[in-house]
Amino acid sequence: MQKIVEVKNVEKIYGKVGEKQFKALSDVNFEVQPGEFVGIMGASGSGKTTLLNILSTLDTPTSGSVQIAGQDITKLNTNEMADFRANKIGFIFQDFNLLENLTAYENIALPLALQNVSPKKIKPAVTAITEKLGLTEILNHYPTELSGGQKQRVAAARALVHEPSIVFGDEPTGALDSKSARALMDTMTKINREDNVSILLVTHDPFSASYCDRILFIRDGEIGQELKKEESSRGEFYQEILDSLGTFVE
Amino acid sequence: MLNKLALSGIKHRMRDYTVLFSGLMIASAIFYMFLSLALNKTFLKSNSPAAATAFIFGFGIVLLAIITIVYINYANTFLLSMRQKEYGMFMMLGAKSSKISRMIFVETFTIGAISTIIGALLGIIATKYVSQWMITALDMHVTHFSSFYLPALVWTFIFFIVIFVFSAIRNSISLRRTKILTLLHKDSQPSKIKRNGAVKAVQAVLGIIFLVIGYFCMWYIGKNAAFIFLGVPIALVTIVIGTYFTINSAITAVISLLKRNTKYSQKGLNNFTLSQLSFRIGDYTKILSMVSIMFALALGAITVGLGFQKQISAVVNGQNYYDVAVHNADTAQKNRINHLSGDDQSNYSYKIDDNKKIIYYRASELKKQPFHYEAFNMKSMISTTKKSTNIADPDVSYSMLQNMMPKYRMSQIKMVNDADYNNIPGKSNTLTLVKTSSFKNNLSKIRTISKEEAKRYPELKNAGGDKYSAYIMINGFFSGLEFMGFFLGIAFLAMLASCLMFKILSGANGDVKRYNMLYKIGTRQRVLRSTINKEIAVLFAVPAGLGVIHVLLGLQMFKGILFQPYTHIEVPFGIFIVLYLCYYLLTRYLYKKIVLK
Ligand SMILES: Nc1ncnc2c1ncn2[C@@H]1O[C@H](COP(=O)(O)OP(=O)(O)O)[C@@H](O)[C@H]1O
Ligand SMILES: [Mg+2]
Repeated sequence: MQKIVEVKNVEKIYGKVGEKQFKALSDVNFEVQPGEFVGIMGASGSGKTTLLNILSTLDTPTSGSVQIAGQDITKLNTNEMADFRANKIGFIFQDFNLLENLTAYENIALPLALQNVSPKKIKPAVTAITEKLGLTEILNHYPTELSGGQKQRVAAARALVHEPSIVFGDEPTGALDSKSARALMDTMTKINREDNVSILLVTHDPFSASYCDRILFIRDGEIGQELKKEESSRGEFYQEILDSLGTFVE
Repeated sequence: MLNKLALSGIKHRMRDYTVLFSGLMIASAIFYMFLSLALNKTFLKSNSPAAATAFIFGFGIVLLAIITIVYINYANTFLLSMRQKEYGMFMMLGAKSSKISRMIFVETFTIGAISTIIGALLGIIATKYVSQWMITALDMHVTHFSSFYLPALVWTFIFFIVIFVFSAIRNSISLRRTKILTLLHKDSQPSKIKRNGAVKAVQAVLGIIFLVIGYFCMWYIGKNAAFIFLGVPIALVTIVIGTYFTINSAITAVISLLKRNTKYSQKGLNNFTLSQLSFRIGDYTKILSMVSIMFALALGAITVGLGFQKQISAVVNGQNYYDVAVHNADTAQKNRINHLSGDDQSNYSYKIDDNKKIIYYRASELKKQPFHYEAFNMKSMISTTKKSTNIADPDVSYSMLQNMMPKYRMSQIKMVNDADYNNIPGKSNTLTLVKTSSFKNNLSKIRTISKEEAKRYPELKNAGGDKYSAYIMINGFFSGLEFMGFFLGIAFLAMLASCLMFKILSGANGDVKRYNMLYKIGTRQRVLRSTINKEIAVLFAVPAGLGVIHVLLGLQMFKGILFQPYTHIEVPFGIFIVLYLCYYLLTRYLYKKIVLK
């Protein structure tokens, strides 16, 4: 089966040659299978956002290759990158990143409009995803009229509406209270299970990470150990994560 | 320590500060330029025929002062929008708010002072070149005008210093009053859209009623000049209110209609652009109305100014049908005449009886070459060209005598047959009258002929009568008006377009996040750019469109004073649109620089 994400020997160095340089990622290798729910955990400054930016074509690696859905994204030009993001990727950001001058509905419809999907098809697609995420009631509200949890679910709907190959989340629960965080992670799990959507989540929060099938630990720009959920329950997995964080961090 | 931080903040935002500085410099430069004209009493007196000029300029100063205040207000908002977050951060870190407000005070005032000084210097230079350019381009005669005029400089400084002291105080107070959290999250607080359709509908109807009243007043002034004292204030008030209501209601209505049309709105970023606009229009109604009124005043000033230029040819051509009158032409003069383009010349012989004060012409020559003259109709203010073979007719003889030597202009004209003519004692003279294809195009040649003629007959000097001297007089008369109209118009345009520019740019900082997000979810750069272009184009086009309508209808006022106020209207409109377009291009360039990476 084709891999959704395949990262090989990726290295990222910030700063120009001759100036002060900083190696944010060194020799990163991993894969994501279709339908997998993968977490990347690491302390603040360990290179999580850098890695995610590279995976989502917002930044380019200094060396190495990244294949997503069979396409080498490091070889794309800027327009192709934009189209790639628009078609193949869904994003959920820590700070929601909704457009405050559009209603929830319009925010969710935006990726489809960007792809010039015909208006006739936009409505059913938006309705389907919002029903699944329980947003039907608030579709005509503006983001300022929503709670943090609702905003993040709108953002999730926007990330999913165009049926991307993979959804990336950069600390999506980072700005949420624990109840909203739990609700969001439940929703993500449901989407992952029922619709077989691949998800790659970056977080430093063990609780959110415990929802994943598999966790990669990153430290100082290097992927260290890997942890698989296998048959354990979420509670057990949470404990395992805490344990390995203890050994990993020391 | 904080001062150092604040300074480094400025360094990081050098580009934004450059925009701010250049905008303020332009403002003070224009203000100086205008004052150098308006305060120069000798200039006004020597160049303007009407007592109204002082009034017009007084009015102009008040308007320009108002726009300048509004303008600086926007520039100031732009400054605050840049600094708020940073100062909020300092406060969160424990800086005392009194310290912060002192810092913003010093910053605002320093920026104001520096830009005023440099701007005024630029104003002196610009005044010199702009006036030179205008004078040569339009063949204007302007006297007592100097680019350096001390009272103007002093007043510019006083005016700007006062405004900046107020802005600085206002900034520091507003910063002290706002909560830290609001400062930190300023960008993410959108203004709410108000969805009250009934109020908007009433506004739309009222807006149109007010506009119609205003337009009617202007039309009526053109019919009945006495109405001017009541009509102008009424028109001003009703058009201002009407414009405000129209923009506030009609534009919002159009946007929501477009939004409801999903075929259009659900395509690409259209919906985003419409939402940006509908948020903006609410926030922009005031400035857009002001800009459209100012646009109309400025364009009106230029159009009327140039109208006087057209008036010159109309009035000059009404003075005398013939472009050149030469007596007893010698070879040199004949030569010059032959070099005029498309010359249609008539030669008339005449003899003078000095005692009886009679001038004799050959009837046969007039039969062959009928005499042309301009008959002026006092009622319609229009002169029509007529021709006649009988110059003894009192209606015609006046026009013929105009071409004669000054001392014979009160004489009587008699037409005689050839035999009688030959019997009259005295020397026979010839009068050569030339009508060229265009007086204007032959102006320099005509000038030479007229000068030479005055050399040959010194009594012709300052005697008038011929077309060239009529031109000199009338050109001097109207040039002053034209110069002022032009100057006023350009100054206003520059100011109002800069106002709009700053208003738009001060929203740019808040848009950075939005465009960055659109970029992240996969919008191509080209699409982002065209979205910005579209959005700013609408913001520029709305007031311009309304302004043009105001002017087109406002010209009705001048129907009584100006000869055909609508002909060649494309010239001032063209100049204006080009300048305005430059501002649009500049604004969208700067906006993209701020918003896109
Ligand atoms: N644009 C950049 N230029 C230089 N260094 C950077 C840049 N972005 C991030 N870094 C550095 O790279 C490291 C990893 O950053 P980041 O990926 O944001 O970490 P995380 O998201 O895990 O907190 C940090 O040490 C950070 O200082
Ligand atoms: Mg991060």
